[in-house]
Amino acid sequence: MQSRRRKYLWLILSASWLLLILLAAPRLRQLAIPPSLRPKTLTSWPRWLDQELLLSFVGPEELSKDPCPPSCSTHQWRNQRLGCLMETCFDTSRCQSQGFKVFVYPTGLTQPISKVHHKVLASIEGSRYHTANPEEACLFVLPGDALGPQLLPLWNGGQNHLIFHLHPGSWPDLGFDPGQAMVARASPTPETFRLGFDVSLPLFPQSYPQRGGSQSQLTHLIPTPGEDLLAFEGQLDMWVTGSYNQRDQNAILIPSDRHGETSKGHRDGPCKQDQTTEQSEDQKRLYNSTFCFIPPNCRLGSFHLLQALKAGCIPVVLSRGWELPFSEVIDWGTAAIIIDERHLYQIKSVLQGLPPARVLALRQQTQFLWDAYFSSVEKIVYTTLEIVRDRIFRAASRPRLLWNAPPGGLLALPTFSTHLGDFPFYYLRHGSRPSGRFSALIWVGSLDQPPVKLIQEVAGSQHCAQILVLWSNDSPPPAQGKWPQTTVPLTVIEGRKKKSDRFFPYSAISTDAILSLDAHSALSTSEVNFAFVVWQSFPERIVGFQTRSHFWDETKGSWGYTDQRPNEFSVVLTAAAFYHRYYHNLFTHSLPAPLRDLVDELSACEDILMNFLVAEVTKLPPIKVPQRKQLQEVLSPQHPRAEQQLKNCINRFASWFGRMPLVHSQLRLDPVLFKDQVSVLRKKYRHLERL
Amino acid sequence: MCASVKYNIRGPALIPRMKTKHRLYYITLFSVVLLGLIATGVFQFWPHSIESSSDWAVEKRSIHDVPVVKLPADSPIPERGDLSCRMHTCFDVYRCGFNPKNKIKVYIYSLKKYVDDFEVPVSNTISREYNELLTAISDSDFYTDDINRACLFVPSIDVLNQKTLRIKETAQALAQLSRWDRGTNQLLFNMLPGEPPDYNTALDVPRDRALLAGGGFSTWTYRQGYDVSIPVYSSLSAEVDLPERGPGPRRYFLLSSQMALHPEYRSELEALQAKHGESVLVLEKCTNLSEGVLSTRKRCHKDQVFDYPQILQEASFCVVLRGARLGQAALSDVLQAGCVPVIIADSYILPFSEVLDWKRASVVIPEEKMREMYSVLRSIPQRQIEEMQRQARWFWEAYFQSMKSIALATLQIINDRIYPYAAISYEEWNDPPAVKWSSVSNPLFLPLIPPQSQGFTAVVLTYDRVESLFRVITEVSKVPSLSKLLVVWNNQNKNPPEDSLWPKIRVPLKVVRTAENKLSNRFFPYAEIETEAVLAIDDDIIMLTADELQFGYEVWREFPDRLVGYPGRLHLWDHEMSKWKYESEWTNEVSMVLTGVAFYHKYFNYLYTYKMPGDIKNWVDAHMNCEDIAMNFLVANVTGKAVIKVTPRKKFKCPECTAIDGLSLDQTHMVERSECINKFASVFGTMPLKVVEHRADPVLYKDDFPEKLKSFPNIGSL
Repeated sequence: MQSRRRKYLWLILSASWLLLILLAAPRLRQLAIPPSLRPKTLTSWPRWLDQELLLSFVGPEELSKDPCPPSCSTHQWRNQRLGCLMETCFDTSRCQSQGFKVFVYPTGLTQPISKVHHKVLASIEGSRYHTANPEEACLFVLPGDALGPQLLPLWNGGQNHLIFHLHPGSWPDLGFDPGQAMVARASPTPETFRLGFDVSLPLFPQSYPQRGGSQSQLTHLIPTPGEDLLAFEGQLDMWVTGSYNQRDQNAILIPSDRHGETSKGHRDGPCKQDQTTEQSEDQKRLYNSTFCFIPPNCRLGSFHLLQALKAGCIPVVLSRGWELPFSEVIDWGTAAIIIDERHLYQIKSVLQGLPPARVLALRQQTQFLWDAYFSSVEKIVYTTLEIVRDRIFRAASRPRLLWNAPPGGLLALPTFSTHLGDFPFYYLRHGSRPSGRFSALIWVGSLDQPPVKLIQEVAGSQHCAQILVLWSNDSPPPAQGKWPQTTVPLTVIEGRKKKSDRFFPYSAISTDAILSLDAHSALSTSEVNFAFVVWQSFPERIVGFQTRSHFWDETKGSWGYTDQRPNEFSVVLTAAAFYHRYYHNLFTHSLPAPLRDLVDELSACEDILMNFLVAEVTKLPPIKVPQRKQLQEVLSPQHPRAEQQLKNCINRFASWFGRMPLVHSQLRLDPVLFKDQVSVLRKKYRHLERL
Repeated sequence: MCASVKYNIRGPALIPRMKTKHRLYYITLFSVVLLGLIATGVFQFWPHSIESSSDWAVEKRSIHDVPVVKLPADSPIPERGDLSCRMHTCFDVYRCGFNPKNKIKVYIYSLKKYVDDFEVPVSNTISREYNELLTAISDSDFYTDDINRACLFVPSIDVLNQKTLRIKETAQALAQLSRWDRGTNQLLFNMLPGEPPDYNTALDVPRDRALLAGGGFSTWTYRQGYDVSIPVYSSLSAEVDLPERGPGPRRYFLLSSQMALHPEYRSELEALQAKHGESVLVLEKCTNLSEGVLSTRKRCHKDQVFDYPQILQEASFCVVLRGARLGQAALSDVLQAGCVPVIIADSYILPFSEVLDWKRASVVIPEEKMREMYSVLRSIPQRQIEEMQRQARWFWEAYFQSMKSIALATLQIINDRIYPYAAISYEEWNDPPAVKWSSVSNPLFLPLIPPQSQGFTAVVLTYDRVESLFRVITEVSKVPSLSKLLVVWNNQNKNPPEDSLWPKIRVPLKVVRTAENKLSNRFFPYAEIETEAVLAIDDDIIMLTADELQFGYEVWREFPDRLVGYPGRLHLWDHEMSKWKYESEWTNEVSMVLTGVAFYHKYFNYLYTYKMPGDIKNWVDAHMNCEDIAMNFLVANVTGKAVIKVTPRKKFKCPECTAIDGLSLDQTHMVERSECINKFASVFGTMPLKVVEHRADPVLYKDDFPEKLKSFPNIGSL
């Protein structure tokens, strides 16, 4: 018994001790550790006992009264002329009546101009912006950058003038005062750059292609295991010396001067002309590196930047207040690693610390930017002009996303819309989808009867919103009573009897989708339905039935066009095809008039041009869906002359685009149960299978 | 024992009677314990102020108790602001150092009261708003109390409103701050710069190299990439609760509510009103308000009195004109009301314009074009106006609402400049939550058809069916574009067959052994996979022809961001049970493909292994099922796109049943698969799968065309 009690006592005792230890231990530990080693709690900003009594920084009356002195009257304020702004140095009223038209001074006015300037001027002259009449011009472009502009008849202090300052090598200083003229130049410094007025260009060599340019070269979106981390090429500026062993991923750049203090001295010095960079032998190395170091020396950095973009190598830009090319619209943070030059030592850890998802996104963005804005002189010039245009028409300017997501600002026209959901490209980003109906646009050329059967079949589709008949026949359209009765509205539009009319953005088109048809096309309701459902999955592409293919004719050294390669295709005929109505806008407003004239002259080229345009925008092939009847006989050109004409077309388009944008596809999208061994009653599109 | 009996009679005793020696011993012991307990208790609950102040984080003091600092009249004045300052010239990044979090540290000087030689205060000690701002910084992740570790310094000298301070003396006060150092890395907040009559657009206090977060910059005073343009805080943000107004037409098209407009502007606006009638409303100050009514909360038009800012919610567009200053507090009110601001202030640098895309939330009209304003606004479609309204409201909620949001946005912008490679993206700054939620940014956004020459890597997952595995290897090796074969040996108890026993094939064959028998091993991003395209294939898929596999690869090249597979499946909504159902019947639609044989981009391996949301990966490994459904969910969720099913349906030997060997497509299996769909849908918070009605066939599939001339003749045959 005694022992039991003792046990009991011991239990209490040990419990008390335990309690004691538990309670005291943290305190004791705190006492044992010297104060300097203790984890600190932050001393934060005090909570004032009387903070309720604090006064506001401004009285309520004062803010809303905000007396307006005479100086805030528009005119007085305007006269300050502190520096040029679009609002103060540019006369936008010149652009109101005729839109954004660009006049180029004739080259004869001045001394011979450089090759690069020739390319710039040729680009403008061949573009949709160009006007030969200075009266209707909104913007004037100087033929060079080395003349006294005072000689120009319309100089007017430089107002509404744009100077392309492209002289490589020399320190960017114009030989004259640009006055109120905008200057587009490579790598301007913050001191010379008038924000929101001047344009920052990339530096490109004399040999740069006029149009087209090489396409993106990246094959692996994800860095392959053997790839180098960082590469640079060319001579570095004096302040960064040291070596980078390209095989050794652990190597880093070693600057000779830790604080980069001396760099200041070099900054103002002239850049040496580095001709060797134009024809680089080290280009291959770029393709095998994930990142490319862009030396911060003067303007050559800008040239390296282009090379890196082309190679799909992510530029690592040491910023020194360098205005990156087109930085007004391009979000460079999504395509390059920008790092303070004083963080040079950290480059390696920064690069290695980037998550794979970011590297993947950066890599793709380099390719997109290259292809959208930098691959040719023409693109660089058009981008410059479009930036200026966006400033002039601010209310109808592109949102940032249009500039920074495929297909890019040059192919997303703000004259069509500035709303993301209206374009075929951004549905996913915008979180919306194309409207669930389509407008059928029937082109009536040689017939003089209404295509009754076709209209009935198309109108039978539950997705059909309206039928538009484009009457392009010489005879007047049949009377009201001759047209079939349809459940959907039917409108007859009298065209100008030109082929390019069928791609005109008629305001009557109310849906996102257009079903383009020829009067003699034969389609069934079920074919229309299935094709439309497919189009909804691919709203940026052409979805059609009849296909053709382009090929390179080795023997003739030119492009060929055929229907004899049925295993693949690159063109879908627009005699029966779905596409987004935006392409009508693009066709009519972005292509230069001569191309559309060509289409009007020749018989069957509008198909090819439309396919070129869509392929240039999407970089993807069109989509083929099944069709019951083979219409080949009806549609294919029989005459050798017609064939010759088509060949002629495709080659002229290819030269205008600067490259062959068409892409081949080997597949056709069929209904899921198409011709499967299952009861036809289970199939939704069973009519597609009856022969 | 006898003793115990005795005590029992007396009842329970706390202290047993023992020998005196023992008793003493026990009593001593108890008292020691008791004493210890008391001591600890006292220690624990004693007021902490007697200890070192480190634990007592938040001081409670009166504002009147702050130390007073006397500024001698001849104390130094900083240089005027240097207009050429940029981050790379005037900012010392070495102070910020390099840290893995890429976060700057901000120090706040303690509050002092500055007086001149005659004891006249230099300014109000601190305003309510500035106190809120400093509190917000202090509560944020940016804050440090260690002056030596700080990279950015915020003086507690309140310069929000230039009118409330004495310029020269304030400058002197700044100059004597302990880390002033010509203003390097000092950040000043100012909302109302300038004084009559000229109203400079930046704070007039000489401040040398200090960064200025200013609320009214013009192009000429704003140092791009150095200063930060901030809003002018409106106290109505806190005083008035305006619930967000949904989309839909509003009563007025255009509204002007500012009271102190320049007569020229007002006459322009009134001309607009006269021309367009009811849809335009130009309000002004009320002249005949009764006593006690706050004139700032009322606006009038002729005899009508309107509540401000509520009236702003009745308009689609609200004019924000420049006053004496460029920055207007009215902008905040307008945004709060979800009215699209029409900003008419040439050269004004909009708040946070470095990161915010104002085109999405506002219309900027040049002062000269005021007359054309109405037609410009009318050309904006209603859908876009509604999006702009939502965007405007979101800007207010995120960046205008309180001094805290203004302070944190400012610090984040500076942070982004110092660590540009870790900067917050455009989408994060600009997309309202609703857009962030509904929009999809495909990680493989570049429209690029990978070159055919690259080929694909086949990854065969196997356990121990060697015979079948070898047949699969032999079959797959016949596909022309195969560039490598990877066998994932998922059996830890058995070694893979010897090298000599494997079929001899024309491409490299690698065997990877796994540490655990997990289904996720199939989707591990093995370094051996060098091609972008991966063909996942089970060790029992022998019914596909080389033509079908090659064609599958060609299809994948055209859709590299999608899952391209053979057997298709569908998810359906079961209305009776109110949940998702798995369907493997012959349907007209597909929303999934089985990964028993499917092509996909290798990036999805990385996503599956490291970025799979929630506990899906563990669920899959625990249930030994549904890894394919998980992959379908993942890809559809991240790309927003549907799968591509290739070629006609074949009688597969139930490829999805390999995991549960022996069970055919019976009820349990279907139930389990349905359960997976429901589980995953709840983890993803949505149903990402997309339903389509098409599949991909070769162009000439079943066409009336000689078979031998077709590229892929051997399709669909059994």
